[in-house]
Amino acid sequence: MTLSMTAQRRTVKGIGNFLLLLMLLWTAIPFYWMVATSLKRDKEIYGFEATLVPQEPTLGNYTTVFRDTPYLLFLRNSIIVAVGSTVLSMIIACLGAYAIARLNFPGRALLARGLVFTYLVPTSLLFIPMFAMMSALRLTDSLHGLTIAYLGFDVPFCTWLLMGYFKSVPVELEEAALVDGCNRVTALIRIVLPLALPALVVVTFFSFTHAWNEFLYAHVFTSTNSARTITTGLANFMSADVFFWGPLMASTVMSALPPVIMFLVLQRWVVQGLTLGGVKG
Amino acid sequence: MATYSTTGVSIPSSQPVGWRMSRLQRFLLRDSTLGYLFLFPALFVILGLVAYPFVNAIIMTFQAKTAGAPGRFIGLANYAELLGNPVFWRVIFNTLIYTAFGVGLKFFFGLGMALVLNQERRWNNMFRSFLLIPWAIPTVISALNWRWIYDDASGLINNVLVRLELVDETISWLSDPHLAMLAVIVVVVWQGTPFFTMSFLAGLQAIPKELYEAAEIDGASVMQQFFYITIPRLQPIFITAIMLSAILTSASVQFVYILTNGGPADRTQIFPTMAYNLALGGAQRLGMGATVSLFFFPILVIFIIFLTRRMLREKGE
Amino acid sequence: MFTRRTMLGRAGMAAALATTAPWWLARKAHAARAHKLVVWNPAALAPQVDKIMQEQCYAFAKQAGIKESEIDYSIIGSAQLQPKLVASLEAGTPPDITRVGTQNAQVYRSQGHLMDVTDLVLKMDKQAGGLFPASITSVMEKDKAFSVPQSVSPWPMVTRLDVLAEAKMDPPKTWDEFIEVCKKVQKPPKLTGFGPCLGLHSDTDNNVLNMIWCYGGKLVEADSKTVALQSKGTIQAVQLLADMYNKHKIIPKGATAWDNTGNNKAYQSRQVVFVMNPTSIYAHLADSDKDLYNNTGLMPIPAGPAGAIEELSTAEWVLFQKSPYPELAKGLAEYWMAPENLRVMIEEGDGRFGPPYKGMYDSDFWKRPVFQHWRVMLERGRQFPSPGKWDAAAGEVVATNVLARMMHRVLIENWEVEKAVEEAHKKVVEIYARAAQAG
Repeated sequence: MTLSMTAQRRTVKGIGNFLLLLMLLWTAIPFYWMVATSLKRDKEIYGFEATLVPQEPTLGNYTTVFRDTPYLLFLRNSIIVAVGSTVLSMIIACLGAYAIARLNFPGRALLARGLVFTYLVPTSLLFIPMFAMMSALRLTDSLHGLTIAYLGFDVPFCTWLLMGYFKSVPVELEEAALVDGCNRVTALIRIVLPLALPALVVVTFFSFTHAWNEFLYAHVFTSTNSARTITTGLANFMSADVFFWGPLMASTVMSALPPVIMFLVLQRWVVQGLTLGGVKG
Repeated sequence: MATYSTTGVSIPSSQPVGWRMSRLQRFLLRDSTLGYLFLFPALFVILGLVAYPFVNAIIMTFQAKTAGAPGRFIGLANYAELLGNPVFWRVIFNTLIYTAFGVGLKFFFGLGMALVLNQERRWNNMFRSFLLIPWAIPTVISALNWRWIYDDASGLINNVLVRLELVDETISWLSDPHLAMLAVIVVVVWQGTPFFTMSFLAGLQAIPKELYEAAEIDGASVMQQFFYITIPRLQPIFITAIMLSAILTSASVQFVYILTNGGPADRTQIFPTMAYNLALGGAQRLGMGATVSLFFFPILVIFIIFLTRRMLREKGE
Repeated sequence: MFTRRTMLGRAGMAAALATTAPWWLARKAHAARAHKLVVWNPAALAPQVDKIMQEQCYAFAKQAGIKESEIDYSIIGSAQLQPKLVASLEAGTPPDITRVGTQNAQVYRSQGHLMDVTDLVLKMDKQAGGLFPASITSVMEKDKAFSVPQSVSPWPMVTRLDVLAEAKMDPPKTWDEFIEVCKKVQKPPKLTGFGPCLGLHSDTDNNVLNMIWCYGGKLVEADSKTVALQSKGTIQAVQLLADMYNKHKIIPKGATAWDNTGNNKAYQSRQVVFVMNPTSIYAHLADSDKDLYNNTGLMPIPAGPAGAIEELSTAEWVLFQKSPYPELAKGLAEYWMAPENLRVMIEEGDGRFGPPYKGMYDSDFWKRPVFQHWRVMLERGRQFPSPGKWDAAAGEVVATNVLARMMHRVLIENWEVEKAVEEAHKKVVEIYARAAQAG
């Protein structure tokens, strides 16, 4: 029996709302647990005395993180590496993408095609020779070494993204500016960059979160705390003491914030950038 | 002087007519030179940080190499040993299951989420932002959190089950050979679905409403509209999303490493973690580790070629 | 003249320089380390001990005239240390000093990474009544010492005395009694009887071999060459563990995923009654749970047909050859192991480690009732490869978790015990053969 259009629509709406509720719960519950654990005292965390709602909420875990662990150092390192690799990859990718998208030179088409393959080589394949290479160049256990290593993923991916985006910007505007013989710098700043802004935002977001998120290289290439980032530092807490879950959850709550905030601020562009990169290739 | 309709600003010319370039300048400003110049940094990075290590990885697979010592050439011995190792076959199977279910589930849930979020309702933006957060969180953090959720004695799940007296003994999500892979996949899906949601949502919103209206007038049901309008329109995005996700998922170390480190008894061991444990575990066999990773790569390449060809064909390039 | 192309051309140059700069800068830069002393101290699983050792390190630094900023002191999680060390050895930048179990020290020694510290060890042997034979044999290779003995720790049966008292039971004296006691006192799912470590970590290999000894099995013969794993005793012991897990259900199912902190955690959060573990648990409780601390006993291991035998594990400070400051590293090891400093660490660390000096057990601290069995355990305790001695092959057996994997075959993959033991035996034979070849 087929329902009328309004009935169909109403059912769909209803199902949609129900599913939405499920999805919200599914997403929220793990968060809740993370935050709740970070606020509990040790007694409430372990064994079968574990509570679902903190009975005696405490910020003690957070102070433990700052007082007893080099968390701030890890944070600083993550920021340095993330910002460094983002800035570098932005510059390199913009130039490279512009070249492929606009300038004519032999081998251009091949490069455009080949770019996809380069960022798809997984880090789990490269980490061993990368590590040997980094060791030989004495770049291990250093922030600049890590930044350079991250470029290996950031540059191809961002170039590919920007290339797709630049191609979608109408050539006529630039060409008209050229023909006009106007001041290039002004044209560059007033026309090209504003149009490319969403793409630049996406590139920034991806590079930043990739560096913030990256685990394998950070874990393998760094050995002392002075160079550890948040991801590998947190993993170390796992076996450093017997009762670490409280402080560990506290540090995860804090570490999740920067990329989440960044994402919330930039999400419109991120979504846009993803589609454009994907569809227009 | 042309004015630009977009900016509405007229930019005066400052370039004198009849300006001559020297031959050197002309050479440097040719598209081809300029092109290579701009590309140079990117190419340098790619050659140095992707191509070179890749070739190096291949060389390492032919060596016996422990930490702190140069490698010794042993021909195909690593490959032979790997093929004869039953764990290796288990790992291939695991990786396939892990990737197929991981990506598959993410795909369907992502599509569902996108469809739901595409509906009109109040506060949709807020819901959308919230639902997309798991993807923004670093994977290590999600993995650690879920590890704690799955904990035998104090984890959220067992806690609830015991309190509600639904079980006699706690369920070892991460150490029961039948449940471990499932548990890991759940985390992968929790973390990665928003990526699909985002991509699909953007695609959905790009579909003009008129198509649906026209179809409705023609008498198409909701289901028909979905299958004949929505799906075909989303196809390019489907392909890109699946491709990206398959590669990133299958090569991800974090989830398995933090949750189970390949256990119990290699039930959740996938290529990346096997390579990691071989190279940096008790035996310190870097050559073997590289061999494992390399074995995996051709499968990826085939997959990529297959998908990119479809993708490029779709766009008629 | 700022045309589009020249502008961008210059930008291109600048970017090219920027990207390649690190490369040629790095090549020029020699890795002159900023730190004079790089210390990787694995977590002792009792925070007060970590703190004391760190303080002592800084005290040494002051004495040696180094600033605190010149020391890079890291406390590393037990599961992270091994991969980190491998990576650092490959990179040619190992730490100056770290603490490992003898099994790992043997592996590193055989690969030529360790510094000769014979003079320091001989010096130590003249202090505080001299070193235990077990410590000496662990670090010596052909009359040269390649690591500094740090501790000798028996592995008692850590016991919930209050639970036993409540059920009016005595600590079990044999394994059969043990099973009965567990079945009576446990209250699953909240309280389970026995918490051996069964994950792919060294604690497991130690726990399993301990039980094998009680049933008359062993890893190698006294010649340290003939592998003797496959035997009736071994099969009986493995079967016993399997029965405890599957039939009697006195072991938590999750034990197969525990790392070296898993059994600690289980006991400390009151989930299990018995754990075979060195005193890290006891020491941790001193600060974290006074109540449980007072109710914990360090009992002898129950006896099997071959008697009651405890495991004795030894740990050492290893100093790497690549260290650019060997004298400082040696100085630190000497400082930590000076009897006065060691006494502080042990007594304020609630017996986390047993000192390797024979004479240090005469103090009041060790006369406490909880340590009453310690002397006996020290005397009859055996090191891992016993009756064989510690060498690179034995080290690799533990480092690659041969016995733990054997248990996993039985417990997780449901293999027949005989088949699993046979496979493990073959693996050990292969390891010993390879070590013999390498000489």
